[in-house]
Amino acid sequence: MQYSQTVLDHFMHPHNVGKLDNADAEATEGSPACGDQVTMFLKVNPETKVIEDIKFLSYGCASNIATASIITDLAKGKTLDEAKQITWQQAMEELGGLPPIKVHCAVLAVDTLQSAISNYEIAHGLKEVPNFGKDTIIEELKKIIYPKVGEDIINLKMVKYVGYNDGEVIIDLNMMSFDQWRDNIAEEIREHLSKYPEVKNIQINFPDS
Amino acid sequence: MNNHRIYMDNCVTTPVAPEVLEVMKPYFLEKFWFPGTFISTGEETNAAIAQFKEIIAKALNASPEEIHFTSGGTLANNIALKGLIGANANKGRHIIVSLVDYPDLLTNAAYFEKQGFEVSYLEPDSEGWISADKLKEAIRPDTILFMSTVVNHVVGTIQPMADYKKVIETADHKIFWHLDAGQAFGKMHLDVQDLGVDTLSVSAHKIHGPQGIGALFVKKGTKLSQLIHGVTRVDQLQTGGISIALIAGFAKAVEMTFSDLDANISYLRELSNYLLEKLESTIPDIELNGPRGDKRVCHNINVSISYIEGESITMMLDLNGVTVATGSACASQGLKPNYVLMAMGKNHIQSHGSMKFTLSRYNTKEEIDYTVEKLAEITSTLRERSPLYQAIHNKER
Repeated sequence: MQYSQTVLDHFMHPHNVGKLDNADAEATEGSPACGDQVTMFLKVNPETKVIEDIKFLSYGCASNIATASIITDLAKGKTLDEAKQITWQQAMEELGGLPPIKVHCAVLAVDTLQSAISNYEIAHGLKEVPNFGKDTIIEELKKIIYPKVGEDIINLKMVKYVGYNDGEVIIDLNMMSFDQWRDNIAEEIREHLSKYPEVKNIQINFPDS
Repeated sequence: MNNHRIYMDNCVTTPVAPEVLEVMKPYFLEKFWFPGTFISTGEETNAAIAQFKEIIAKALNASPEEIHFTSGGTLANNIALKGLIGANANKGRHIIVSLVDYPDLLTNAAYFEKQGFEVSYLEPDSEGWISADKLKEAIRPDTILFMSTVVNHVVGTIQPMADYKKVIETADHKIFWHLDAGQAFGKMHLDVQDLGVDTLSVSAHKIHGPQGIGALFVKKGTKLSQLIHGVTRVDQLQTGGISIALIAGFAKAVEMTFSDLDANISYLRELSNYLLEKLESTIPDIELNGPRGDKRVCHNINVSISYIEGESITMMLDLNGVTVATGSACASQGLKPNYVLMAMGKNHIQSHGSMKFTLSRYNTKEEIDYTVEKLAEITSTLRERSPLYQAIHNKER
């Protein structure tokens, strides 16, 4: 599958690109090691909680830049609560679809927006710092896309078991050794979870290893 | 410059030379016969194939009976490697390859491992170069095969063939040596007598010949077990039909490349030096991957452009009519950074931002000027968008 014309347009001429001085909140997700890194900056009206301005920087491929461009368009002018409803599925739809192998880049862009909103809410006493637990792990796993089909591994029922106790994470994945994406998925899980200071050890089990 | 595509990915495949296409035509339309005896059509093809074989043999300083036609370089590699292992499996279970060899060799190595053979993977230095000392250290009494690639397909490093030969020749027992010369053929002098190899593969479509045809050199007296079973039409190693037209095109491409090989090499060397000089003087924070100078093949330039990602760069160049390659994970089918660069000790950022230019005799300095100009614009656009670049840039301000 090729990139759509909408993806190419947003990639070549992205909206809302740059750094926002005096941002009220910002977040960075991804890392150069996984190939993509996005930073988003928010300017929020303290009274109405409307996102008055939003900008992004991306070290990433075309789908990452295009998704960041389109979701910043979507978020601009919305309240924080409205912007929280923006999903990567919606972003993909707006872009006219993405090749399955590229869906993870869209997820990263949306994830960065959600983190920036969450950082704003925490900084302004609108929500507590969430306790890390099994639910946090499952939420993170929902952001991990199986590149062959472009859907997340929870939705695809590839996660058989999630356990968490005192910094120890155990995840059983239903992926066989001949699956070419197994190492990618395991690496991505580690990357997503190791950003939490609570996580001390991650054990990923497969049926045939 | 707007109307024609600038193609700088010639290590993958090259356009067929117009002269090659002309030579092939009658073999599709009129002289399409397979070899045969006692009838004029078959005899004519026999004579033509003998002549084509002679041309290819001469380019490698082999004798014609040592040249076998195959449907491409990958098939040549498979026929040689599986053939050598099949014929010598009773003599030992150990194989040597390097971490940066061509995928044909590495996937075969992985296959042999599954079959119960042990494989040693030699590590390159930071320029992708594998010293003969490493080969020497890896040899064991049960080593039966060393496989290597003359020119690295990613960074253009030329491996020290003469040093390998000394190591192989002075080993206590016979070690078979297979060489993939796909990237080297037509870009440097290759003499199978000097090299001392047992088998060597080359391909037509890397030198402006047609896709789907290659050749395997098998040193006289070397036994290969049969990989492809079937009726012998053109060659006993790759049984079944092989297109005579493609063989004719291959021979023409070889003739054109080797009629003045030194001039071809020096033109490519001049172009790639010019490209590197332009890149280094125009784009800040750029580094060459692989060696500089004569240790590098004449048509390859591979650089890492800091702070930006290769798929974005190649797509933007593509939209400007320029085809190049990148080692970025984002642009790969397996979402993995380039294995050659990683084995050389480069980091993810260096691999993601790597750009590979491989030139042909059809490229010009004007094309290079345009490409570097566009690349400089693209680099500056993408750096404006890059959080990595902005972080460094802001610190400096």
